[in-house]
This record gives sequence, structure tokens and C-alpha cells, in this order.
Amino acid sequence: MSHNPPDNIYLPKLARIAHIKEEVAGERSIKTFRLEFVNGDGFDHQCGQCAMLSIFGRGESMISIASSPLIKEYKQFSIMRVGRVTSAFHDLSVGDTVGIRGPYGNSFPVDDWRGKNLIFIGGGCGLAPIWPVITTAVAQRANFKNITVFYGGRSPRDIMYRAELEKLRSSADVHLSVDKSEEGWNEFCGFVPSNVMDKAPPPDNAIAITCGPPIMIKFVLQNLQNLGFKDEQIYTTIENKMKCGIGKCGRCNVGKDYVCVKGPVYSWAQLKNLPQEY
Amino acid sequence: MSMEKILDKARLNDWIAALAKGGDWEVHAPALEDGVWTYKPVGDAVRMDHPNTKQPPKGFSFPQREVFFSFEQIKGEAPRLTQVMPDPKRRAVFGVRPCDGRGAVRMDRVFADNVNDPYYQARRKNVAYVGLACNTPPAATCFCKSVGGSPVSTDGLDILLTDLGDRYHVAAVTETGKAMMAVAGSPLADAAAADRKQVKQVHGEAVAQPQRAVNNPEAAPAKLKASFNSPLWEELARACIGCGICTFLCPTCHCFDLNDEMTGTVPIKGNRVRTWDNCQFPDFTMHSSGHNPRENTAARLRQRVCHKFQYFHENFGMLQCTGCGRCVSECPVGIDIVAVVNKVAEHVA
Ligand SMILES: Cc1cc2nc3c(=O)[nH]c(=O)nc-3n(C[C@H](O)[C@H](O)[C@H](O)COP(=O)(O)OP(=O)(O)OC[C@H]3O[C@@H](n4cnc5c(N)ncnc54)[C@H](O)[C@@H]3O)c2cc1C
Ligand code: SF4
Ligand code: SF4
Ligand code: FES
Repeated sequence: MSHNPPDNIYLPKLARIAHIKEEVAGERSIKTFRLEFVNGDGFDHQCGQCAMLSIFGRGESMISIASSPLIKEYKQFSIMRVGRVTSAFHDLSVGDTVGIRGPYGNSFPVDDWRGKNLIFIGGGCGLAPIWPVITTAVAQRANFKNITVFYGGRSPRDIMYRAELEKLRSSADVHLSVDKSEEGWNEFCGFVPSNVMDKAPPPDNAIAITCGPPIMIKFVLQNLQNLGFKDEQIYTTIENKMKCGIGKCGRCNVGKDYVCVKGPVYSWAQLKNLPQEY
Repeated sequence: MSMEKILDKARLNDWIAALAKGGDWEVHAPALEDGVWTYKPVGDAVRMDHPNTKQPPKGFSFPQREVFFSFEQIKGEAPRLTQVMPDPKRRAVFGVRPCDGRGAVRMDRVFADNVNDPYYQARRKNVAYVGLACNTPPAATCFCKSVGGSPVSTDGLDILLTDLGDRYHVAAVTETGKAMMAVAGSPLADAAAADRKQVKQVHGEAVAQPQRAVNNPEAAPAKLKASFNSPLWEELARACIGCGICTFLCPTCHCFDLNDEMTGTVPIKGNRVRTWDNCQFPDFTMHSSGHNPRENTAARLRQRVCHKFQYFHENFGMLQCTGCGRCVSECPVGIDIVAVVNKVAEHVA
């Protein structure tokens, strides 16, 4: 690899899987992978950015970097098994080497949010993209006022980051939910948007950050607006199909914007002015 | 000061030979093969009486298929990646029509914007375009003038040739072009005052040739923007069979796919390959979940047309269509981008 020009954006760096945790079992299972760069390679990232992960012989997938930028030793990714590349990831073991290139996309303007109340609203796999913001805010707890996290899954077994969420309760208000009631579950039953309405966080001096299935985002948005949140106070991310990550392969655009470069993070004030192509 | 020369047509092959020998250029020119005009490495008989080639010359910098790197990995061990950079051969492409030169300008913008594409750049820096002005009546599908071009445009070219009957007028556009004209053994002679006068006249006549047109192209970006939710798109796309010919043949379409192709399993061996891709295919944007942001031909036609006439303009300040007419003449069902843009402009407030 020595003669490779350093500016070949398409050539992945190598990273070793240091740790694997199964978050959610079943058909659309989620596993969290901790990757450590090898050969002294690496890159810094910001909250909300993504990386192209490679399994050689399978291909690449764009995955959100789920660990805080404050952590330099490794980068963490939570991957749902849905197809060719993601399934191959689920078959890997600790010690295996994969490819990684990035970071791609814009980021959450966390520094602008100092002194504010932060309200995170996640569903399903959608906790991963906002997890770096949550953990960074908690690590810099004094910079922010109230931190509130809403998160829900279909059933208790679909709740990812279970142990981390429990630990989070010491520094944030955590409101979990499941779609359908079950023995032993003593938190909210119902969809995430309903849980938000139930707890009714006030919009004053607040920023709401939401990520999850499109249908959830749709109702979260409506409910936040009903609670008095302004478009500029609401942030979300877009996932369009991606191949290059650098605005050239032409498939991830929403209107004139390539989401891999201008996104994935958008305020609702920005998003409502773009054509609905996501 | 620009450099202008004259080339006796009978000595075109001498110049090409000099470029190959003295300049280490591999020369390509349009050749008629099975009834199709295609760029080919030149043999002994170069003719440049082609209308335009079926495919634009974009493949010289952005081939249909190219290997980025090869990989080899024993399971559980670190992979070995070997980058495959393009052959550094210098290639001179003769007979490029002005619309396709302008296509190259647009491709250059895409592959340099944000971050450089190393494979595109490695090829592009070794490609020179020797253009040929269009001084015969334009094809029925040509509309370069209404999208900011001209049958004698030099944009994106290194040299512009103009056919003056028994000789070519040869004008340098770039430093590379000048060097090619001054190559050792070059048969080019200085242009006389009469030649200069004649070329002016020929160009004037060429520009005056009538063409069909996109009406009011300055207004197109705003009109298209306003049309996004218009039901007109469904009407306009009704006949589309989604074959993708329109974009594969377009000199400015740059979309691509990246895939791993295996050549062995133990150890894992293969290549990461880039191939042209196409916004007219459903799979282009379909997520693994089955959700598709552009789920029908109407949305995909709208993407193609808005990319050319709105989004690219918003991003780069120029239309992405150069009026070459390929998508119009080659569409099996007669979908016509000029008619589409004009119709949208007419119907949208
Ligand atoms: C900005 C962004 C962040 C993402 N973050 C995560 C994450 O943190 N965790 C996670 O599990 N998934 C995430 N995804 C989705 C993930 O990229 C796709 O699920 C994955 O690429 C599917 O690949 P596959 O080979 O397993 O599926 P297949 O269906 O076999 O893949 C076919 C090809 O389609 C592409 N593709 C299909 N769906 C998507 C999609 N939704 N987004 C992007 N490319 C797609 C891939 O390039 C893949 O090569 C993210 C996507 C984007 C765009
Ligand atoms: S060439 Fe015509 S039929 Fe084929 S995808 Fe393009 S518009 Fe549709
Ligand atoms: S859109 Fe059609 S006419 Fe315009 S440059 Fe492309 S192929 Fe030529
Ligand atoms: S992923 Fe290729 S343009 Fe965005």
C-alpha cells in the first residue's frame, strides 16, 4: 500500500474490529462494532458524520459514526442487518479487518447549542446517528441545560444501547417506550411521538433532534410543532442511498443538494424548502 | 496571442504521425464502424466527415468501467489493497464537436468539486481534445445555441479545427494545444490573411444556421423549480420505458456505481470497480427497505431534466445540457428534452 497517493479518496483505510455487541436480535438484528484503525491511520469526525465501511468482496455501506468525537481510540458503528454488506458485517468476528473511508457529510451544530435544553427523540436504529451528540453533550454536561432522551422500539427486545441508556439516567431524563405492552415493562407503551406528547417538553430555549423511521419522524414533527417548537429548533437526518460519499455518483440528491456532502443533518427550516425526495 | 495555422487536408495523417512520434500521443478519431461513428485509435485513413459520434468522448476521462483497486484477504487477516491507477498514456482525441467539448467542461466541474476524483483526474490530465467546428447544417436534433453553446465554441477543447474545403484552419485554445501544433515534424503552416478571413466567414455562417431551441433558457431553472409537484411530469414520462439510453449517451451524465467483483474466494480476491450508472433505473435510489424516493418514471424523468436545467445551474451557474441532441435522437420512444423543458415552462406559472 506504500505507493498509494494519500489523496485517493476511494481507497479505504484499514480498521480492526475490537469489540462486537449484539444490540437487537432477530430478523433485522442490530450489532455494534468498535473499530480501531490499523497502520497508524485514522481521521477525526464531528457529531452526525458518517463513514463508508467496506467488506472486501462484498462492497461498501454508509454508516453513521455512533461514537463521540471526543473518543479518539476507536469509532463505533451500529449496523442493522438488511442486505449484502450489512449481513456480512454481522458474520464478522473480533479481530477481523475491514475498510473505512470518511468522514462524510455535515454535522450537528452542537457548539451553537450551548446553554440550551436538548431533547433527543429516536426510534429503532435511529438512536445511533444521534448517540454521538447525546454522549458529547453528557461529557460536556455543564455546557447544556436539561438533556432529555426519548427512545422507543417495537418491543423491549428492540431497545438498543439498553445498558448505556440506563447509565444515562444519572445525567439526563430518559423516557423509553415500546409499541406494544408486555410483561415486566413499566415505562411508556405506545409510539415514540405519543410519548413525546405525553411528556410535553416545553419549546423554550430548546433544540429537538430526531432520528428514526420516516413515519416516526413525520409524527414527531407534527407533535413538536403542536408543542410550539419552531422550524429552526428541530433537527433531523436524511438517509438516501449512497455510493461515493463525495457528491459525484449522483444518487443521494434532494434537489440540488447531495446529501452525502450537504447533509445528512438538516434543520426542519432547511428541509421544508427542499423537494421531498427522501 | 492566439496561435493559428493551416493544415493541408492531405497532410492530416502526417500531423497525426508527428503527434504519435514526437509528442508520444496516442491519437483517436471518429471511425464509421457497422454504421456507427465511434472514437477509435487512428489507422491510416482518418476521415472527419462525421456528424457526431454515437457516444460522446467522455469515456476518455470517465470510462464505462474501471478498476479502482484490487484486494486480497485471507479470512481473519488484514487485506492487501493494490491501487490500480490509469495508464499514463497521453491521448489526443480528434474530431470532438463543440457541444462535447462543453460536455467535458461540465464533467471537469463535477469531478473537481468538493474533492478531486483521483481516477478521473489521472485520465483527464493526459487527454487533449482536438475539436472540429460544425460548419455544415446542424442535425435536426442539435440545439447548442439555445443552451449557451455555439457550433464553433472552443470551451473544453485544446485545439479547434475548421474545415475550409481542401484544408483545415487550426486554432490553439490551450497551452497543450499550442504544443501539439508545434510538435516536431508538424506539417502545419502559418495561416495567411486570406485563411483568417475565410475562417471568420465560415464561422459566421455556421453560427447563423437555424436550430431548434429551448425557449427562454434563462427562465428554465426557475420554471423547473416551480414545476416539482406538477402532474405534468406524469404525462411527459408516460411513454418512458426506463431504458437509460438518454443518460448513457449524454456527454455530461456522470452518475456511477461502485461494486466489488470477486475473482476468488480462498483467499478472498477481487476488484473494486466503478461503472456508469443511471438515474432512470428504479434501483438507483431504492433503499434496502424498498423505500424509493424516486419511485416512478415521472420522478426519474423530472430528476434528469431538473438536474440538467435546474440543479446543475444552481450549483455551478451553468446549464448541464450542451444541446448535443443524443438523448433526443436515440430515445426509443421519442421523449425530447427540448420539448419537455418548453412544455414545463409553458404550463408552470
Ligand atoms: C447517512 C446515512 C447513515 C446511515 N447510518 C446507518 C447506521 O448507522 N446504521 C445502519 O444500520 N444503517 C445506516 N444507514 C443505512 C445503510 O447505509 C444501508 O442499510 C446499507 O448501505 C445497506 O447495504 P446492504 O449492502 O446491506 O444492503 P443491500 O440492499 O444489499 O445494498 C445495496 C446497496 O444499496 C445501498 N443502500 C441501500 N439502502 C441504503 C440506504 N438506506 N442508505 C444508503 N445506502 C443504501 C448500499 O450502497 C448498498 O451497496 C445509513 C445510510 C445513510 C445514507
Ligand atoms: S431514452 Fe427515452 S425511454 Fe429510455 S430512459 Fe431515457 S427518456 Fe426513458
Ligand atoms: S441532455 Fe441530451 S441534449 Fe443535453 S447534453 Fe445530454 S444528451 Fe445532449
Ligand atoms: S453518495 Fe454519491 S453523490 Fe452522494
